Amino acid sequence: MIPIPPPPPAILAPAAPAPAPVAAPERSVDTASDLRIAAALTDARVRVDSGFSGASIVLYGAVFNPGDQPTDVVVVVRGPDAAVRLVKKTRNMGVWLNSRPVLFEGAPGFYMTASTRPLSDIADFGQLRRLGVGVDHLRIAAPEESRTVTRYGVRDVVVSRLGEDYLDWRRAVIRLREAAALYNTDPDGVSFVDRGLFRAEVELPTTAPTGIYNAEVWLFQDGAPASVSNLTLTVEKVGFERDVYEMAHRQPWLYGIVCVFLAALTGYLASRLFRRF
Amino acid sequence: MDIYLPIAEVSVNWAVLVMLGALVGFVSGLFGIGGGFLMAPVLVFLGIPPTVAVASQASHVVASSTSGVIRYSGQGAVDYRMGGIMAVGGAIGAFAGVEVFRWLRLLGQADLVVALSYLLFLGSIGCLMLYESLTEILRRMRGETAPRKDRRRPMWLYGLPLKMRFPRSGLYISVLPPIGLGVLVGVLSAIMGVGGGFILVPAMLYVLRMKASVVVGTSLFQIIITTAITTVLQAGRNQTVDIVLSMILVVGGVVGAQFGARFAGKFRAEELRAALGLIVLLVGMQMGLDLFVRPSDLFLFAPGISDG
Repeated sequence: MIPIPPPPPAILAPAAPAPAPVAAPERSVDTASDLRIAAALTDARVRVDSGFSGASIVLYGAVFNPGDQPTDVVVVVRGPDAAVRLVKKTRNMGVWLNSRPVLFEGAPGFYMTASTRPLSDIADFGQLRRLGVGVDHLRIAAPEESRTVTRYGVRDVVVSRLGEDYLDWRRAVIRLREAAALYNTDPDGVSFVDRGLFRAEVELPTTAPTGIYNAEVWLFQDGAPASVSNLTLTVEKVGFERDVYEMAHRQPWLYGIVCVFLAALTGYLASRLFRRF
Repeated sequence: MDIYLPIAEVSVNWAVLVMLGALVGFVSGLFGIGGGFLMAPVLVFLGIPPTVAVASQASHVVASSTSGVIRYSGQGAVDYRMGGIMAVGGAIGAFAGVEVFRWLRLLGQADLVVALSYLLFLGSIGCLMLYESLTEILRRMRGETAPRKDRRRPMWLYGLPLKMRFPRSGLYISVLPPIGLGVLVGVLSAIMGVGGGFILVPAMLYVLRMKASVVVGTSLFQIIITTAITTVLQAGRNQTVDIVLSMILVVGGVVGAQFGARFAGKFRAEELRAALGLIVLLVGMQMGLDLFVRPSDLFLFAPGISDG
């Protein structure tokens, strides 16, 4: 391997003081010896306003691979966690009724993976499970229905009321979210545009929750994670949408009164307006 | 054309919403009802969460009823005393209804109760209206004269204490039946998101035996108060009122209501009642059908609160 010369020393500032706001210049990193990944988002802030109809953000990055062993890139984007309540319809005497709701705590409101190959080809089950990569390995807990006990001397054994059904419920959460385009698996969503340079697209539907999103960009080699880059993405309501939302939650009673007042006023104005002709 | 609704957190086509508001407003002006029972199912169909749909359309009912009351008030066809007494009951009912709705959502049974109430109330009222108006239409076609109406009032209405005079309605009765009626309508208004005109009008006519000319105006007046209270309560307790959604519906609604009211004069009363009965019955059956048809997915998200 051709040894790459060490990076040049940082340029010394000239005698005159440098312009204040300029940050220290980015130094290129010595990538000769280690395998690493770097990534960034084209837009780290998604603004939800009245014209919002989903967003598409490009995630791009580079793989530094000194060797010639092939690598795989996996992009995982997780939305903010929120509790999910799920019911199952059961038939009682010819009528479809809801079961008692089951509370799943901490299911991400958005979850997508994009990779260069199907996840199961990139790493084995245990590895993916440990990293929590892929919808099948999402950590969705149903603590309301389970309790931890000490059994046969083993501590913290989770006992679930749902028992075997738990998997069905879990799969249902994922299936319903997939149907709403909130959960997504794209086995060839990461494409290389040039040697070592890749891109992936994050498609946010309109129903995507607001909050802080975490993006993990994993580099796998030989079925094991070699490097990871963490990014954050903020989805927030702005302008009028935010004002309305905040008022509805901070001063809900006043907000309700304003709604009624506006409605009554519109009704009054309309009847005045239409009386003329 | 799409607009993002800040509370419902979905993007919908606003032109469709204006049209929907206008259409429901037209129907409401035509028949002298709030029209909420038509609106909620369509909003849910458009992808708006049911809890937000029910809470937001209540203000649409406020707007169309306000413009209705102003019109009837000019004709002296509003009994404010009777409406006020019923509104007291309505306020109690709305309070109870919003709390019951919260509790039902926690149990995951809100869908069932909403579907059942639609099936039960709309189904039975629709059948009654259709039957009553069709017999009248048939009778007229055969050229028969209407049988003498039974003008006797039910005895139990007169045995109750707390009597009060309602000169405009031509009544001297206890305040308890109107309050009870108000409570029932208040609960329905919170659970079904409806004004309750389709129950109030027949009940005022056939149970309380009010003068027919003041029935619609008075019921609209009572509906304004009940739905206004429901809207404030839904906003305060559940944060499910979307002001953008409700304003879009309101703008379409008030315009439609004016045209509907103008159009109403061209039809006979029993023909209007037959058409309304048919619509009420169909909506009730459609909502009730969900109980008997196998759902496409056995699992579904329980609407509402994740904050417990």
